[in-house]
Amino acid sequence: MVSKLVTDTATMLEKKATAKQTGPDAMDYPEQAIGEPFVKNPKMSMRNVDVFYGDKQAIYNVNVDIGQNEVIAMIGPSGCGKSTFLRSINRMNDTVESCRVHGELSLDGEDIYAAKMDPVALRARVGMVFQKPNPFPKSIYDNVSYGPRLHGLASRRAELDEIVENSLRRAGLWEEVKDRLDQPGTGLSGGQQQRLCIARAIAISPEVILMDEPCSALDPIATAKIEELIAELSENYTIAIVTHSMQQAARVSRRTAYFHLGHLVEVNDTEKVFTAPEHALTEAYITGRFG
Amino acid sequence: MTEIKRSHAETIQRSLSKRYRAEKRFRAYGMMAIALGLLCVALLFVDIIGKGHKAFLETSIQVDVTYDAEVLGITDLQNKQQVALADFQGLVKKALQKKFPDVSKRKEKRELFSLISSGAGYELRERLLRHPELMGQTETLWLIADDDVDTYYKSIGSKGGAFTGRTSELRQGWIDQLEQEGAIKLGFNTTFFTSGDSREPEQAGIWGAAMGSLFTLVVTLTLSFPIGVSAAVYLEEFAPKNRWTDLIEVNINNLAAVPSIIFGLLGLAIFINFFQVPRSVPLVGGLVLTLMTLPTIIISSRAAIKAVPPSIREAAIGVGASPMQVVLHHVLPLAMPGMLTGAIIGMAQALGETAPLLMIGMVAFIVDIPGGFTDPATVLPVQIFLWADSPERAFIEKTSAAIMVLLAFLIMMNTLAVVLRKKLERRW
Repeated sequence: MVSKLVTDTATMLEKKATAKQTGPDAMDYPEQAIGEPFVKNPKMSMRNVDVFYGDKQAIYNVNVDIGQNEVIAMIGPSGCGKSTFLRSINRMNDTVESCRVHGELSLDGEDIYAAKMDPVALRARVGMVFQKPNPFPKSIYDNVSYGPRLHGLASRRAELDEIVENSLRRAGLWEEVKDRLDQPGTGLSGGQQQRLCIARAIAISPEVILMDEPCSALDPIATAKIEELIAELSENYTIAIVTHSMQQAARVSRRTAYFHLGHLVEVNDTEKVFTAPEHALTEAYITGRFG
Repeated sequence: MTEIKRSHAETIQRSLSKRYRAEKRFRAYGMMAIALGLLCVALLFVDIIGKGHKAFLETSIQVDVTYDAEVLGITDLQNKQQVALADFQGLVKKALQKKFPDVSKRKEKRELFSLISSGAGYELRERLLRHPELMGQTETLWLIADDDVDTYYKSIGSKGGAFTGRTSELRQGWIDQLEQEGAIKLGFNTTFFTSGDSREPEQAGIWGAAMGSLFTLVVTLTLSFPIGVSAAVYLEEFAPKNRWTDLIEVNINNLAAVPSIIFGLLGLAIFINFFQVPRSVPLVGGLVLTLMTLPTIIISSRAAIKAVPPSIREAAIGVGASPMQVVLHHVLPLAMPGMLTGAIIGMAQALGETAPLLMIGMVAFIVDIPGGFTDPATVLPVQIFLWADSPERAFIEKTSAAIMVLLAFLIMMNTLAVVLRKKLERRW
């Protein structure tokens, strides 16, 4: 029964993959991403990255840098591999059994996939905010203090209190929740929950924050708050954000990377991507011909 | 065009009433099914309670007992051998003879003496040892009646007349006489709840079997819950998904469907014959029931772990929790209500299990109340089986009463499962 289900899914995925490769979208991708994928003194750099799910290749030969304290947006149509790519950066894909990542990914020049790199330590340096707000079913305080406690960042209760307050302040949530820190985080509204998740991510002082469509489950007002927050956070953190909304990419990011079916097509200053895209696919997506 | 539209509307209208009728029928089937189920449960309860409620009462007879040292043949109460050999039943016989002085024939005397349970002597011995100053004194006591007398006395006034059975007319006469004197009464049956099994129905109780069940379940729970949960956690969270784990999963599901007597045979062959665990003891019963409940616990624990949303796992991994911390801090607390429910249902299953225990000797006739895991014991369902098999009429009501006790335990455990789930369940 179960094994049948597995093979069914496998064949389905295969069909999907072949359909994609022979479909009308199978245009000539640039060998190298167009524009300026590389920066001076990158925080993170990715070279020749291929990602596979079983036999299916999800990411093809991606080369890109993420600069210090910059916000880089990753856009592209559904299934283009932008989330997969993001999850490869902090090795979240390790938990997916069939997933394999090839190529060189480095953080401050250290190889992320090296044998001596501990994924747990890596994730403490590269935090992540997910698509759906996912606070733990614990109190607001426990949600934020979980990471610091885990890594032993605070030796005394007062220190922990300080970390929690600072994180919540930076996430713009302190004023709203300071009187009910002992109440469950799941009782907050969607937007507040997402800001709580951001507070939880920054509580362990990561160097890079990855955001996987952080506003897709939120209403416009909550979205505006999160976008504001991203702008503020970019002063201290390097942020990579995957988004479905081109307007959001335009609003929050300094650079934008356009992915198409696993290929990185174009990377440029955000303004340039949205006003004068260099590649035909980018232009087609920006102008709304698909996506 | 409008014509066509109207006819469409009419067709829909007509089919609507048909659909509503079908829906009503469908609901009626469901209600009938539920009613049938409830009726069966009601019948079961009426039958069992109707038969069993009298077992909670026992008949006792009032007599004047004289602790006569001569009859007992005791000169020194400290002398254990003398006490052990003393004829305490003789005191009962003397007391009865005093009550009915005109009975003189041998045969009649035997009938008279069997008015009172043959266990009454032990009661007197206990009493005298506790109060040595009673020696030589006379006191008025209520002593347990024989089971035939008990059955007859309880059935007086019932529909279809009293059940005489083995109670001869002579004895019926004496009972009537006692009744007039107010020297016979029905009281709460403490014996049933405090003593172990006995060949004499009036001395038989459920406590030995209840303690046996308790010790067996303690063994089962302490073994099967940790093992089951560990297996489930490993299979769900850490094991690679390949042919081997598929095979293990299929086999666990198969084990859940294996007839329980097979587990009994396994226990007999492995625990008793190979590992030389003594037979008839709660330890070996618990081991066998552990094997039987493991699949249930593993399956329900895996379902509970699967129900933990992946987003919680991702969140924990995202802030840098190690796989073990993810499991200990997030998955287990969230899955615990489901796991506990599974465990309690498994325990309820184990509590009601008979067949495998027959194979490992827990069906033996055991009078002593077990005091530990290696004392010979029997369990509640096996006790029911044993009593249902006994020829004495008084065991019919004992059987039903034992079923009531067992059902009460099961209902309590299931309620506990529901309460625990309600209390521990957290929304996310």
